[in-house]
Amino acid sequence: MLQRVWALAMVTCKEGIRDRSLYGVLLFALFVLGLNVAVAGFFMRDLGKVTVDMNLAALSFAGLLLVFFIGINLMAKDIDKKTIQLVLSKPFSRGEYIFGKYFGLVLLVLSTMALLLVFSSATVAGVHSMYPAYFEGFSWSVFFWAVAFIALQLALLCAIVVFFSAITTSSFITLIFSMATYLVGVTLEEVLFYLKSQAAAGEVVASESLRSVLEVVAWLVPNFAAFDLKTEAAHGLALEPLRLLTTAGYGFSYILLLLWLATLIFRRREFN
Amino acid sequence: MALSNGVCLVSEIVIDALYKKYKPGLFKKPVEAVAGLSLRVPKGTVYGLVGPNGAGKSTTIRMLLNLIRPDKGEVRIGNKSISAVANADFLQAVGYLPENPYLYDHLTLRELLRFAGKACGMTAEQIATRIEALTRQTGIAHALKRRLHTFSKGMRQRAGLCFALLHDPELVILDEPMSGLDPLGRKMVCELILELKLQGKTVFFCSHILSDTERLCDRIAILDQGRLVREFEAEDLLAFRAGKRSLEDEFVAAVGGTH
Repeated sequence: MLQRVWALAMVTCKEGIRDRSLYGVLLFALFVLGLNVAVAGFFMRDLGKVTVDMNLAALSFAGLLLVFFIGINLMAKDIDKKTIQLVLSKPFSRGEYIFGKYFGLVLLVLSTMALLLVFSSATVAGVHSMYPAYFEGFSWSVFFWAVAFIALQLALLCAIVVFFSAITTSSFITLIFSMATYLVGVTLEEVLFYLKSQAAAGEVVASESLRSVLEVVAWLVPNFAAFDLKTEAAHGLALEPLRLLTTAGYGFSYILLLLWLATLIFRRREFN
Repeated sequence: MALSNGVCLVSEIVIDALYKKYKPGLFKKPVEAVAGLSLRVPKGTVYGLVGPNGAGKSTTIRMLLNLIRPDKGEVRIGNKSISAVANADFLQAVGYLPENPYLYDHLTLRELLRFAGKACGMTAEQIATRIEALTRQTGIAHALKRRLHTFSKGMRQRAGLCFALLHDPELVILDEPMSGLDPLGRKMVCELILELKLQGKTVFFCSHILSDTERLCDRIAILDQGRLVREFEAEDLLAFRAGKRSLEDEFVAAVGGTH
């Protein structure tokens, strides 16, 4: 079983790596990282924070482009072009197919992130050496933790793409649903925080029932904001091990749940 | 090959009263693709399925492979329903070539075939030996390092054949295997099918090329509108080969009136 999952993962990853769109994403990320070095001198204050924030944002955005455009395409192409019929004519179970595709996407994202991380670290190190006074609170370990959680966030997003690919028949719908889930997951925590703070201040901007609904939605939709450690990395704030552990546990549990649901749905699907 | 639950693929394949309807659109009426189809494919025979476009040939093959499920009826291996046989075990004994195979474009032919071998649990040594033999037989050994998106239609068809046959399956299912092939390619596929027959494999294929079907098959079925309209066995095939009757005439007589 593992041999089949691994074989499909490798094929999926190779297909993604050899896709020309990947070079576009890489060039874009490298451009932003290069831009960071070029414009660093323009900032009069908080140069270190801006550098770290911009680097992490570039990594995160490149990862999002990768998952939304190349990842969804890798899933959809199999079904649209009927390559899946060839794959499922081999002794693959539907679950093995789902896990194989998922691990292939994650492998693609991780290898791309690893490459970008080399350039990103070089950028941060370069700016750090040019303007050491602005990097007093900077910590490489917090920076790498932030990158690790971006990777986990992207791994969760890959699981969402696989899940929606399993239940929809169109790559466009998968793209819309995955983007919507990501946007809700990123912003919902802030919306709830705002509503709660307004309620505490005595101003009611949303009814109690609406807030309850939003809290339920916040449990259903993955909380992507929980994986965002950009602020901590930019300010060199210490990270609590318990927070890292619970966030990682949350991410992995969500991934497993999504893949399990995708497998259940995929077993019932027909490939005409 | 014995499957894990004791069922052997030496037994015949029985397609028993299969029905399948499709809904072409949300508000459209369902279309009957297969309507009460029953066939028996004995072990070691070359069984040809012919019929006009939309006759239900590919749908039947997909139901056999469990890619789609019948609305009614069942496929049996011997006396066991295919749903009772572990799908992975059954597929281990099956090689399938779809019509116009779409392969992973960015892989090289060698990578694609290695994937097929690994998926079937073959060792690296077995894979290498089979890749060499099959690609030489199908005439694409020179293209092992080339990426599949550079292949012509005929080469893709040959690559698809290698993908289907790499693990030396007992049951070979071919959907339009001659599609896109030049006369040399067609000859190669015909020889391949005859070789599989000599090895005692069961070959189930559908084709529009009646002359090849007539020459290769031990049994032929004509399908039309999802139904079996004629079936030919050994005696009929002898008559076809002797030139006393022709499959083309039989085909026109069987389905000509409905189109």
